Amino acid sequence: MTKYRVGKLVIALVALVFFSSCEKDSNNGNTDEREFIVAFDNPSIPYREIETTREIKLVFSDVAQEEGSVEIQIIPSKAIYDVDFSTLPKATGDKLIVPIAKGTKSSSFTFENLIFPYDRMDKTIQFNIVKINYAAKTPKIQGYNVMMISFDTSLGGIMTPNVGGPTQPNQVYVDLGGKAMYEVKRNSWDLAFDSSGEFRVRLNGSVYMAAGVIKGVNAIDDVREDNTIREMKNVVKIGTFDPANLAYIDDPSGDASKTAISAISDVDANNKVYLVNMGFDPGMDAVEPGSVLVTGKERGWKKVRILKREGGYLLQYADINDSTHKEVMIPKTPGFNFTFFSFNTNSIVQVEPSKTKWDLNFTVFTNKVDQAGDPKGSYGYSDFIVHNSYGGVKAYKVIIPAGDKNFYKAYNLQSVQESELSEDFTTIGGTWREVANAKVLYKNVFYVIKDAKGHYYKMRMLDFFNEKGDRGYPKFEYALLR
Amino acid sequence: MKRSLLLATGTLLTLSSTVVAQTNDTIKEPEQKLEEIVISGQYNPQSINKAINNVTILNRQRIENLGAVTLADALNQVMNISILPNAGSGRSTVKMFGLDAQYFTILIDNVPMISDEGFGNNTDLTQINLDDVEQIEIVEGAMGVDYGANAVTGIINIITKKNNVNDWNVNFFVQEETVGNEYDWKNKGKHTQGITMGHNINDNLYASLSYTHTDFKGWYNDREGFTYYGDEDKRGHEWLPKNQNNIKGFLNYHKNSYRVYYKFELFDERMKDYAKLFNINEDPVFETINPVANDRILNTKRWSNVLNTSGNLEDLFRFDLSFSYQKQERETDKYRYRIMYDEKYDRSSYKSESREVFFSRGTFSDFIKLETAKFQVGYEVAYTNGYSAMSEQLAENPQKKSLGSYDFYASSEINVLPRLMVRPGYRLMTSNTFNSQHALSLVLKYVLPGDYEIRGTIGTSPRLPNYEELYTYFVDVNHDLQGNENLNPEKGKTAFLNFKKTFALADNIEISNSLTGRYLEVSDKIDLIEVVNPEGLKYVYENTDLYRNIGVTFLSQLSWDAFDFGLGFTMSGVSQEMYKAPKGTDKFLYTPEVTANINYRLAKTGTNFSLYYKFNGEEERFKKGSDEFGEYYVKGKQESYSWLDFSVRQPFFKNMLYATVGVRNLFDIKDIRSSTSGATAHGGGATAIPIGYGTSFFIKLQYKLGF
Repeated sequence: MTKYRVGKLVIALVALVFFSSCEKDSNNGNTDEREFIVAFDNPSIPYREIETTREIKLVFSDVAQEEGSVEIQIIPSKAIYDVDFSTLPKATGDKLIVPIAKGTKSSSFTFENLIFPYDRMDKTIQFNIVKINYAAKTPKIQGYNVMMISFDTSLGGIMTPNVGGPTQPNQVYVDLGGKAMYEVKRNSWDLAFDSSGEFRVRLNGSVYMAAGVIKGVNAIDDVREDNTIREMKNVVKIGTFDPANLAYIDDPSGDASKTAISAISDVDANNKVYLVNMGFDPGMDAVEPGSVLVTGKERGWKKVRILKREGGYLLQYADINDSTHKEVMIPKTPGFNFTFFSFNTNSIVQVEPSKTKWDLNFTVFTNKVDQAGDPKGSYGYSDFIVHNSYGGVKAYKVIIPAGDKNFYKAYNLQSVQESELSEDFTTIGGTWREVANAKVLYKNVFYVIKDAKGHYYKMRMLDFFNEKGDRGYPKFEYALLR
Repeated sequence: MKRSLLLATGTLLTLSSTVVAQTNDTIKEPEQKLEEIVISGQYNPQSINKAINNVTILNRQRIENLGAVTLADALNQVMNISILPNAGSGRSTVKMFGLDAQYFTILIDNVPMISDEGFGNNTDLTQINLDDVEQIEIVEGAMGVDYGANAVTGIINIITKKNNVNDWNVNFFVQEETVGNEYDWKNKGKHTQGITMGHNINDNLYASLSYTHTDFKGWYNDREGFTYYGDEDKRGHEWLPKNQNNIKGFLNYHKNSYRVYYKFELFDERMKDYAKLFNINEDPVFETINPVANDRILNTKRWSNVLNTSGNLEDLFRFDLSFSYQKQERETDKYRYRIMYDEKYDRSSYKSESREVFFSRGTFSDFIKLETAKFQVGYEVAYTNGYSAMSEQLAENPQKKSLGSYDFYASSEINVLPRLMVRPGYRLMTSNTFNSQHALSLVLKYVLPGDYEIRGTIGTSPRLPNYEELYTYFVDVNHDLQGNENLNPEKGKTAFLNFKKTFALADNIEISNSLTGRYLEVSDKIDLIEVVNPEGLKYVYENTDLYRNIGVTFLSQLSWDAFDFGLGFTMSGVSQEMYKAPKGTDKFLYTPEVTANINYRLAKTGTNFSLYYKFNGEEERFKKGSDEFGEYYVKGKQESYSWLDFSVRQPFFKNMLYATVGVRNLFDIKDIRSSTSGATAHGGGATAIPIGYGTSFFIKLQYKLGF
């Protein structure tokens, strides 16, 4: 009988243990509270963009749970309220009160320019958030709590180049000083003809093009799809893991003298016929979150010969088996790095902004790779950033010392090390992220960029995914170093 | 009578139930050393010295001494076997004779077990719960005739408990373990609870039901779990946490020589893979961070049903038939996690793996009644259907495939001389995917005067190529890695020669010695080779290599009063002929292994002390490297290590309550340096291979009630 009692006890004990051993992992996460912070969405606005009025936006870090207000101090320099400029709502003294409405995540006020055309270029108006009246939580003032309207170069901010998602169809040129972006389809052009004193032609590495000399041929129309061409087609491409295939691409460093197509000679006989691998169009299929599909349809092959004519170039090209070829005159374009040509449209196309109007290019890129120190030749990279070396832009990478949380914030003009500045295209490149395995940003790198006008910026990547986890949505922050 | 009772309660699969059911008046469990019964590869259960194969047994007592909850805990001390835990996938697999788990078959009661990556082979040992296990049988050498493909290095056959002497019996246990030096009630350590209830419904019918819950909280090491979002690389776990629930049911009916039983099992595992790297998500506008990680929970579910029936059909023949339906699924629950605010979003789940197997195996024997010879014929049918997503890194689509295999086999045990038994065997393996394969075996057992037992075995078994080798397709602008659907099965052959002799040195001292020599060969071994052709570098799977392993093992077991001493030594050599490798790289490279164990039972209190030791010597392998001057071959090394476990087991209240306290991994092994594995497309160099999580402690309380 006692045994039965013990049995019941055992069962009760078992039940107790089993009930208490359920999973509890969802209950012991962090319980940080979201802070209520009010900031300007932009730390600077160019005065020259404001001819009449401009809405100045304030953003909240969390949805406002009740009403409140933001007190902003106005500090003009060489400008007078109601003479040079005004605001809506109106300021009382140097103070502007902007309301916080319940349920919103932003608010705004209007800046009015009262003198146009501008009378002087040295006036600035600074807005400082000085107080937040908000009862639901203890509000905080941090981040972009100061905003400057001036004729100077941009102080910085956040930019999200529209690379176009996981197939990365766009190249995006970014002008840091002007805080502007220009996007272009990366398969909209094929060859770039040097507009400087040199006579060089570059391939479109963003679609993984490659080119090699067709040996023993001097006239483009003589080329036919024979064994030589068939064999070449197997090697004139990227990603063959053969270090020798670097000869078929433009050197990833951007070194203008190391191009797949040799410098164009004054002597026509020295200008060989090239077999050009046109690479790949961006992919078209659906892409798993976190992955990219930068290569889709193959773009085929062309035979190409380039000659020097009239201070510019004469481009001869055709499909491999064509017995005739097309000819196009490509002039140099002053003020630009290159003149761009597209085989598809058989015309010169607009790609880059003028030489001094861009600093960074977000693009797919033909790089080289090694495997445990062992060179493996050309290798296609997505999520790449090239700086405008040809336009005089230089950059270097900074590694934040472990544990120094204030390092980026404190980095200023005095911190700049001029000697570190490099022209190498791969300086920024893909050195800010890991995509082979984990697909994450490195938290400890940022870059110093010197633009053609001599301004220094610090720049760091904030993300390359959207909220859904799709690749191809880069986001970065930069600030003028002073 | 007494003897047969002991035998029955100890280890029986078949014939003992009648005896048991009639004698249900005692709750005493035998702990004395019995003549052990083996099942693997036998026509009928046989005592170990009569068995034709050389079988190693891990009995219940050893399982208890080791505090083993899963098969992974029990095999660390076994000669010629090492356990390879994978910190990334959370799996632990067997390595035997230098070959991985794909060459090794794991069966439960003679039926192969479905696993994440195979049927019978490539089994995750942490997913096999030992709660209802009577004993584990290990047979070394190719067993293709008895167990089909993929039984190249050997087999493990797990024999479950099939009966109980009591009318009712309840067995309940709790086991608390530290994981290295980590333990707390809520977030650290390993917490296991289990209950088994059995009932003899009547003289012919026995039913049991058991439930085990294992909550492994992961090994943190220097990591700080899923809530960490600081600047250092500290998020997540060194070994992934997993929570397992396992329910097993058993129903047995027997009458005279006829028996039928049904077993089912439900297994559910939730493994949490908290990403080590995460995006800090800094927002300069507000000067805030909102760290986000891509986490996932891998949920593995296994359903297993086995129906077995055996007996004699009149006097015509004896049959033993098994039918099994097993299914294993893995669901990946992916989500993004805002670490600071404990918010999951973008949640999606998908089945990354799903496989079901219909299996049947039957043997028929005794249809020719001869004094000197027995015959057995059998069939084995397995139909596997399902898909498996290959390495995620390669962004593969799941490969949906089905594989049917239809095998027939026959063997005969011939007593050529009174003391000489010969057993030739043959199996024909046909399938819808591969060409017909053949397995052969020849077993020879000779008992010399003076009870010197000699066993010689020759066996073959193919290894079938896996999904990855057959169907991988990873081709893009940068890569070209392709599976090869024309691969042939690898050919495995083994030869073993074993001498055994037990000496009684005195009334209370007995020593048994065993000496085994082996030769193992795998030809047409599949390797991923680099093909450099005009189109550049390509990786392709081909049948190219030859793998050979030779070894000598000496085992000695001495029992003296309440002491048991065991000592074992192995020297093994490995040679590999690799694709296009230069001469000299196929040299045999030798590694020693030592095992030792001491067991002492204090008669007065019934306390049992046990110590298990194993030394795994330094391993060398030739591997391929390459640099700017081309390819070269170097000798890579893997460090040696020792493993030591100690435990004390104490019964209380007339053997109703047992307490076991133990220490595992006293040498505090965590990982070993190795440079034996070759560099592949993304990786290379010397690496640390995880072996364990350092010295850990366990306590087990077990309550046994029978009435």
